[in-house]
Amino acid sequence: MSEPMTIIGTNTFVNGNLEGDEDLTVEGRVEGSINLSKTLTVEVGGVVRANINVRNAVVSGILVGNVTAQESVHVTEQGRVVGDISAPRVILVDGASFRGNIDMGDFDVDRATDGFASKGLPRKARAEGEEPAAEEKSRAERPQVVRTRPAPVPTRRPVAAPPKPAAPAKAAQASAPAVAAETAVKRSPPPPPKVRAIGKTKAVKKKH
Amino acid sequence: MANTVIGSSIVIDGEISGEEDLVIQGTVKGRIILKENLYVEQSGVVEADIQTANIEISGQVTGNICATDKVEIAAGGRAVGDIKAPRILIADGAIFKGNVDMDA
Repeated sequence: MSEPMTIIGTNTFVNGNLEGDEDLTVEGRVEGSINLSKTLTVEVGGVVRANINVRNAVVSGILVGNVTAQESVHVTEQGRVVGDISAPRVILVDGASFRGNIDMGDFDVDRATDGFASKGLPRKARAEGEEPAAEEKSRAERPQVVRTRPAPVPTRRPVAAPPKPAAPAKAAQASAPAVAAETAVKRSPPPPPKVRAIGKTKAVKKKH
Repeated sequence: MANTVIGSSIVIDGEISGEEDLVIQGTVKGRIILKENLYVEQSGVVEADIQTANIEISGQVTGNICATDKVEIAAGGRAVGDIKAPRILIADGAIFKGNVDMDA
């Protein structure tokens, strides 16, 4: 046991807040909250009823609560999860049971559809007078902004927004396809940190 | 090896209850209720009221201890609080401050 490792055994019940910098295996029961910078493993027979913040989670037992993972959440064949999962990688294996929301972060519907005919054209690009150069410049000034549209005033919600601008944009595509293509390429290579947008995305998703 | 281990970097604030051995290398605040053996290892820090069968303290314990069998404070162990148990062992080199009650 050279690796630091914590085990909550089958006949142990922890009620409260649990935090640490090492792997945690739950074979028993934990209620409250768990904050770890490493991996949480809920074994078969283990029951966790807590809000969880970890790097990785592997669930083979029962987990009730919201899970935020920096890397991944893996629900195995025997795993049962009820709650919202927020993680860049979420693995639900065949046989796993899950109820709740999954948020894999702002991988961005906008960006995903970027490749297709450069949809939701920036409104600026629609204005005939605008030059591509100006467009590029404004983009360069704030490189972290992930949103596809320069967003004049309102809509700052990336997920909810696409449908609206997409429709009128079709007409504009013919007029400025080159611009759009160029901006699309410009944007794609450096995936900027998009963590900030998660909260917003989530709020939108939670409606249903 | 005991069934439950609280590793050295872990902090638990709340209550631990169980029916199996518990080893604490990290920090536990709150309350511990066990029916078996509790080991507070050198790196372990416990600020809790403890009910257990046996407890062996090599680390630090602050709080009242009630054991149905035995309390042992090893050399290097530190305990502050009242102890109630039929058998109490305080080794040479141990540090203890509090009341002792050995009435069974």
